[in-house]
Amino acid sequence: MKRPRPSTVRWLIVVFVLVLWEALPRAGLIPELLLPPLSKTLAALVADRALYGEAMLVTLYEIAFAMLIACGAGILIGAAVGGVARLRNLLLPVFSSLYAVPIVILYPIFTAWFGIGSQSKIIFAGVYGFFPVMLSTAAGIRTIEEQLLVAARSMGATVPQQIGRVIIPASIPTVLAGLRLGGALTIIGVVVSEMLTSSAGIGYLVTSYRTVLDSPHVFAGVLTILVFSILFDTLARAIERRTMVWQTAGRRERSLSREEARIAAAPAPA
Amino acid sequence: MQHMARMSLIREDSAAPAIEIAGLSHVYSGRDGAVPALEDISLSVPAGRFVVIVGPSGCGKTSLLMMMAGLRRQSAGTILCAGAPIPEPDPKRVGVVFQEASLYPWLTALDNIEFPLSLRHVPRADRRARANDMLELVGLHGFGERYPHELSGGMKQRVSIARGLVQDPPVLLMDEPFAALDEQTRMTMGHELLRIWSQTNKTVVFVTHSLTEAVYLADEVLVMSARPGRIIDRIPIPLPRPRSYDMMATDVFGRLRDRIWQQIRT
Repeated sequence: MKRPRPSTVRWLIVVFVLVLWEALPRAGLIPELLLPPLSKTLAALVADRALYGEAMLVTLYEIAFAMLIACGAGILIGAAVGGVARLRNLLLPVFSSLYAVPIVILYPIFTAWFGIGSQSKIIFAGVYGFFPVMLSTAAGIRTIEEQLLVAARSMGATVPQQIGRVIIPASIPTVLAGLRLGGALTIIGVVVSEMLTSSAGIGYLVTSYRTVLDSPHVFAGVLTILVFSILFDTLARAIERRTMVWQTAGRRERSLSREEARIAAAPAPA
Repeated sequence: MQHMARMSLIREDSAAPAIEIAGLSHVYSGRDGAVPALEDISLSVPAGRFVVIVGPSGCGKTSLLMMMAGLRRQSAGTILCAGAPIPEPDPKRVGVVFQEASLYPWLTALDNIEFPLSLRHVPRADRRARANDMLELVGLHGFGERYPHELSGGMKQRVSIARGLVQDPPVLLMDEPFAALDEQTRMTMGHELLRIWSQTNKTVVFVTHSLTEAVYLADEVLVMSARPGRIIDRIPIPLPRPRSYDMMATDVFGRLRDRIWQQIRT
């Protein structure tokens, strides 16, 4: 028997879970209060689509600005910390320890400073996502092979050229990995802060429906964020893949063009 | 009369050594104070010559090469390249090939070869044409669109050589370029290098650990002492050109290699 492809198996698992989601509550195996059937959840989502759409817009707006802060500050400070030895020795241990702090504990303070509107969410989630971006940017710049820079100098590269033509392209893979992680954390940060203290957004909807025990509407909100997060991750991965053609050594299944096939068949020089 | 004057000018130009080092010393500050690394080095490499520098590990031969490339500054003494000092790297006068291929993994072979030209904003079409010529020269026709990770170790070094030669510098400096290759590939690459050298008339200064490689490639072998590095012997290699693999089995070859070995051992 032929082995099914991993992607096929993945989709089968997703379908299986969705079927269970519908079947288990319908069969009475799980109370509908704890898990409403998928169909009811979707019905709630469709019925109140304007409400969810509006909440999603608020959430998206907050996520966008939080990512701007996380990525912008993360890359800038990360580059400085990674590139300047003195800053690195001074700041890197501090930032690494701060990364381990559950920053959500600071959220009440943020609301006291910036109010319960979008501002406090943007700043909180921005800070939350900042750390992985900053740390991986610093790591990406610090781990560049010295030899690549020496070679550039031997070819007469000026300092701006060394930065633009060597340091930036060489650190892109690590920076992108940090952006993906940081982006995911800003989504978490926004939703969590909306659930804690808020008056708008998907997180707020979920919390308010939960307090009135309206399970289908709670799950509709959960589903919205779930789909959005998966979309973000898929997009981020696609960008990573595109920019790292040169990194996927051998893993890339290339369709050999005729020219390439000819070269592959020809004896290679040493 | 004018004709005569021009003749003598050309004679003088061609008589100027490609590289001339006088009274070069280098001291670097280590943990326990000043460490003398290179001591009173003077040498002259005539244009078109293939010179190999050998010496024990840590004798400063790589440092010396980096100084010739303008990548490091010596404490004292002068280095002249075709009569002029090299205060900073200038790939139009001196090309460098490093031990590790040091190619940019995000660029294809052709883009890597073009890299020094693109730093100087040479128009794209000129760049491509020049890089293709170089690719041809190093025997990599058809491999231009490959990324470094898709090339073997020997092929990567071919790309490095092409990159070093792309601006047609009169001098090519090579720092143990084949050290990371297996023995078989190393021999092939040495032979290939001689072919490229004979086609381009470059002056080559080549640093290596391998005595066989040194004798096989060189017009002249310079032997350096352990730190502080000094030049303790200059051994002309009278083997005819083009060199062939069976020369390695001859007595002359063996005696030359042995003479170098005796120098390094002591």
